[in-house]
Amino acid sequence: MLSLSSLISKASSLIDPNILPPSLLNQVNGSTNDGQTPAVLFRSNFRLPDSESPLAVIPCELSLPTGEHYFGRLHLSESFLCFSSSAPSSVSGASSSSSSTAGPPSCGFTLPLVAIRRVERLHSRSYLFALAVTTWHNDQKLTLQFNSLRSTCEKFCEALKKNLRSQMSEMKNLRMLVGSCYSEWLVTGGKSKDGAKEEPDAGLGMVWKYPGDAKKLRDRSKMRLWAEYLRENGRNITLIRQPTFHKLIRVGLPNRLRGEVWELTSGSLYGRLFNPTLYTDTLTEFSGRHSLSIDEIEKDLNRSLPEYPGFQSEEGIGRLRRVLSAYSWKNPDVGYCQAMNIVVAALLIYMSETQAFFLLSTLCDRLVPGYYSQTMYGTLLDQRVFESLVEKTMPILWEHLVKSDVQLSVVSLPWFLSLFINSMPLVFAFRVLDVFFLEGPKVLFQVGLAILRINGEELLDVTDDGAFISCLKNYFLRLDESAHPRSDNEKLRAVTRFQELMVVAFREFSGITEQTITDQRTRHKDSVLSSIESFAKRTTLRNLGPESKRLATNDLGYIYDRFYKVLYERQERLAAIELEKERLNEKKVMSSARSISEKSINEKGRIGLGPSSQLMDYDYFREFLAGVAKWAIADSPSQLFSPGLGGSLDPQWGSNGRKKSINLSPWGDNAEPADHEFMQRLFRRWDTDYRSGLSLQDVVAGLAGIKGKKDIMESISYFFELYDDDGDGRVDREGILRISEALLFITRRGWETPPNIGDQNRNSEGKGGTDPFLGSVSGFIRRCFEYADPDQQGKQEEVSTGVEGMDELVDLLDLASDDEDGDSVKSPVKEKELKGKDKEKDEESGEKTSLDIDANTRPSAMSANIALDPANPLHITLPTFRMIVLADEVLEYFFETGFADSIVLSTDGSKTPSGRNVSAGASAFGNLGGGGIAGAKGLRGVLDNIVNDGMRVAQEVRRRMDEAQKEMERNAVPGKYKEDEEEEGDAKSIMEGDRELLKGAEASVVDEAAKLAIKTGIPDDDGASGTLLGSPTSSLATTHVGEELRTPTTPMPTRVEFEMDK
Amino acid sequence: MAEGGPKPSSSVKLVLLGEAAVGKSSLVLRFVNDDFQENREPTIGAAFLTQKCNLPSRTIKFEIWDTAGQERFASLAPMYYRNAQSALVVYDLTKASSLAKAKHWVAELQRQASPGIVIALVGNKLDLTSQSTGLENSMGGLSLSAAAGDGDEEEEEEGDARQITTAEAKSYADEEGLLFFETSAKTGHNVQEVFTAIANAIPESTLKTRGGPGSNRAGNGTGGDTFGSGGVNLSAVGETNKDGCAC
Ligand SMILES: Nc1nc2c(ncn2[C@@H]2O[C@H](COP(=O)(O)OP(=O)(O)OP(=O)(O)O)[C@@H](O)[C@H]2O)c(=O)[nH]1
Ligand SMILES: [Mg+2]
Repeated sequence: MLSLSSLISKASSLIDPNILPPSLLNQVNGSTNDGQTPAVLFRSNFRLPDSESPLAVIPCELSLPTGEHYFGRLHLSESFLCFSSSAPSSVSGASSSSSSTAGPPSCGFTLPLVAIRRVERLHSRSYLFALAVTTWHNDQKLTLQFNSLRSTCEKFCEALKKNLRSQMSEMKNLRMLVGSCYSEWLVTGGKSKDGAKEEPDAGLGMVWKYPGDAKKLRDRSKMRLWAEYLRENGRNITLIRQPTFHKLIRVGLPNRLRGEVWELTSGSLYGRLFNPTLYTDTLTEFSGRHSLSIDEIEKDLNRSLPEYPGFQSEEGIGRLRRVLSAYSWKNPDVGYCQAMNIVVAALLIYMSETQAFFLLSTLCDRLVPGYYSQTMYGTLLDQRVFESLVEKTMPILWEHLVKSDVQLSVVSLPWFLSLFINSMPLVFAFRVLDVFFLEGPKVLFQVGLAILRINGEELLDVTDDGAFISCLKNYFLRLDESAHPRSDNEKLRAVTRFQELMVVAFREFSGITEQTITDQRTRHKDSVLSSIESFAKRTTLRNLGPESKRLATNDLGYIYDRFYKVLYERQERLAAIELEKERLNEKKVMSSARSISEKSINEKGRIGLGPSSQLMDYDYFREFLAGVAKWAIADSPSQLFSPGLGGSLDPQWGSNGRKKSINLSPWGDNAEPADHEFMQRLFRRWDTDYRSGLSLQDVVAGLAGIKGKKDIMESISYFFELYDDDGDGRVDREGILRISEALLFITRRGWETPPNIGDQNRNSEGKGGTDPFLGSVSGFIRRCFEYADPDQQGKQEEVSTGVEGMDELVDLLDLASDDEDGDSVKSPVKEKELKGKDKEKDEESGEKTSLDIDANTRPSAMSANIALDPANPLHITLPTFRMIVLADEVLEYFFETGFADSIVLSTDGSKTPSGRNVSAGASAFGNLGGGGIAGAKGLRGVLDNIVNDGMRVAQEVRRRMDEAQKEMERNAVPGKYKEDEEEEGDAKSIMEGDRELLKGAEASVVDEAAKLAIKTGIPDDDGASGTLLGSPTSSLATTHVGEELRTPTTPMPTRVEFEMDK
Repeated sequence: MAEGGPKPSSSVKLVLLGEAAVGKSSLVLRFVNDDFQENREPTIGAAFLTQKCNLPSRTIKFEIWDTAGQERFASLAPMYYRNAQSALVVYDLTKASSLAKAKHWVAELQRQASPGIVIALVGNKLDLTSQSTGLENSMGGLSLSAAAGDGDEEEEEEGDARQITTAEAKSYADEEGLLFFETSAKTGHNVQEVFTAIANAIPESTLKTRGGPGSNRAGNGTGGDTFGSGGVNLSAVGETNKDGCAC
């Protein structure tokens, strides 16, 4: 599937014919730069940190102390003054040098403003506007003669002055940086007051020797040349790049300056300047922490340039470990990728840890973006680009490779990934790196093409991958040999194969520019990402674990797509909102430290780019659900406050729910998802690893749990377990009410009822297909309380003695809250999870008790209503729950298929959540049209209202069903009612009465009933589940025994009639 | 040179897959150069080597693709197992997670690679288990039909780095119809046997004699890393040719 070549051939038909011949390239490059904003281009031209932006530009002439003059443009950004010359001969070059991507300009500088000591206005000639700039290294004075309208010049100067002032604070950083630079030592001999007193760290090579023979490399001569250049043109932070600079690099850098020049030419030096402690801080912050990356790094530490003696030592290994770990923490999206160890090991031979850390960042962010990412898309992309360049520049060879079915990238991929370090002998690889850091990634392509060009003849004889690889292997091993061993010309004989390679690369392929690479990357990016994505999808779907087998393949594919769509779209949206917010706040002070791991926004949003997060938090989950289940769509858009959650809302959820006060909708164009307690429960249930986030696997397993149920029993258990918070096989009063709410919530937009059910149901006349469900749910509540088991007395006592030593009020409150909790036996695992919730519940119930108990209520009334009395804990068990569900055919049908069908996965047109033609739901949904809650009619409409308003639905069901019972009902209301507020003052005395009640006769009857119930073997797991599996009649019979026993105290149906009569 | 006379010779493409650092490259190095290096650089992308294997009736020339094991390199794998006739899926006997990864690769190959690909499941680093002495039950003869009964005894052994029992891996291999071996690249134990078994298992019909029997690159077995950077890939020297398998 990753058939690069076939895709290449397709893609190549689209390639702009302008890119070749090379002579045309430079012209094209000057004008097009699609895919790159001016700011990006500006930063990459001058190797600036991401925090910089082009603020002003002015044509000018630069005069150097050495006497040279250059025309070009002067740019100002927040913290830099940059210059790049246009072609040296061009006097009026100012207008045509807008972009210097065609190669390094002959002269230029990137001067941090903090490195400028003085700027003076020169008055030599009145009609000219000129500045004299004194840099940090005093010996230099640059003259900049502006070439523009006076007002423009003045504006530029104003901006410069302002920024110069704001950069003063960086002075300390500047001193630190300069002191660590080898060039400073070299020029001042350690005698400068800012320079280091001892030789700065120039890598492991200082101790373990630099690779290669220094004499043969002519290291001393090079060093002398550099010393001279640095004296004349400034050093490190103030260096000016003249043509000699480029030449000095082309012939190979001297060992001790190599690291610093790499830093300078790549721009990583500036990251280090502004974040001098970032490296050490990162190490301190994460010391001792573990991660997958850390494990992977550890595995490879002994496997990084093992032949170099420095990496057989603890010191070398330690440095490598620290740099790789620090980077993996700083940029967890990349983490650690094999090949980074080799690259960093190579860097560490020439530079300090801190330098290597910043250079690695620059590599990953700018030079070889995406090479080491999770999906390695950058690597694959550049292979595609390379193949297409080969096809264009060496069509005959290309054709031959295609014909012989040789895949070029199997050979070239390691070249790019390890920047040739792993392919060529080290001394030569470093020479390539010298140019690479100066001129950018195009160098990798140029060298790669040159390798093929030089070996072209031989490669044309090769007919398979193996021979192809052997041929090039042999070539690399003989790079130090003469390129023309049999030539009569002595000079020609002295030319090594490596020199030949460099000449071919940079002369013959000079047409390959940064712009070419940028264009080509843009061109191929999409198809590369798509192929990575389809690979990722295939692999992921196969490895979703055993649970996934319960879902159909196309459902899995659908979940996968939906999962990542939500994840990335939302990430993008939130990023956009964040950006918008930042813009509003005009927060322009951005630490350049951010550039370390910052991805531009449009870089997100594709799996192929490597995910930043693989987990969905609750808000993502809501969005996900809203796409697959219509009940998960909010009824009234943009509620600013998420209602319906009452006291059960975890603080955690609460904060999520209120993130919305930004003018951009966090839901984008999608329907706003609902936020119901049921959804929170689902989320927590699916979040099996307690990460407060769902992986794709969690979502698949979760959906499999609902849609992949074998039978109704499983489905009922699933629902029950959702509400059995502590896993003790019981659901308390609160839970029963919440189940009812959930049932109404799920079906409030209708669901697919079987046609015959609606006719039979007694409550449903004229109300449309969904109303039978309403009847069923209210019946459900009634039966639940009817068949519920009271909690055992023993437990209550246990807890009330447990609060000994506290004052009475607290004691009372606790007693009440204990009732609410139902029991004191908790599974330790879940308790931890639910702690926050329980606590809130405790408070709520304490308050509730004080409100709910009416002072005027007679003890007898209380006892009659004992099932609803929160002071009398009760619960239902799974068998009871089953029985109650199965007793109602609508509910039975709901659990049989309705619940599972309410979530619609693969795209079956008629069933998609947005499709509103679900038979039974049509009328109810129609009532809600336009979000007009108030306009909704009928009982159903009222209920929808209730859902929206966050009232306790179940509560309301009962209230509407039985107005006459209102007062009694209020006793059991777990929510807060306005009428009750004035009674708050009585809380204490009421509660004392309440407590007495519990000790009184009525309460003891409950206790007796409970005891009897236990004796008759009704409650709890074993016996009951056995009966369900056995004959249904016997199970019902058993329950009835229990029910009869309790009749005196909890005659709920009777009570209803009684109250109504009254 | 073990020149097998006029025996027919054919190339077989073999790919090695498996978690990082399980010893894929080491197995290849042992097979090709009969050598072992304690610190091997991780494979970047893939390495290519060749080695001949003489069977009684024919000569098989393996074209070996040794791939990188780190998870994120997985998306490159199709490039390498394309057209492969055989695969070595390697796990580390002392690392439980590596078998899970191996199973993923088997599944991937069964679905995506050439149909009829011969797959061998190989548990490496046998020398790190207490069994490495081969005292009680030498794994030497363990091939296709080896008894799966060893597992019970092993589970009793403590102080052993082994995390994956023979029985567990063997029963999985049987289920999926894979060849199965436990090897040590370090001692060389069972390494030749793996390749011989694969050579034997390649159906005659799928053998093609590309470009004439080994004509253009006869005897040019390549392998081994010699120069400073220790490059695993293109840098390796091709002069360490060794005779074909000792079979
Ligand atoms: N004790 C022991 N160590 C081994 C054996 N085989 C490999 N190793 C060691 O395990 C480490 C990894 O070996 P490699 O051969 O590089 O592993 P790989 O599977 O090629 O790793 P990647 O290229 O990263 O996928 C090295 O340090 C080897 O020395 C073995 O049979 N026994
Ligand atoms: Mg390897």
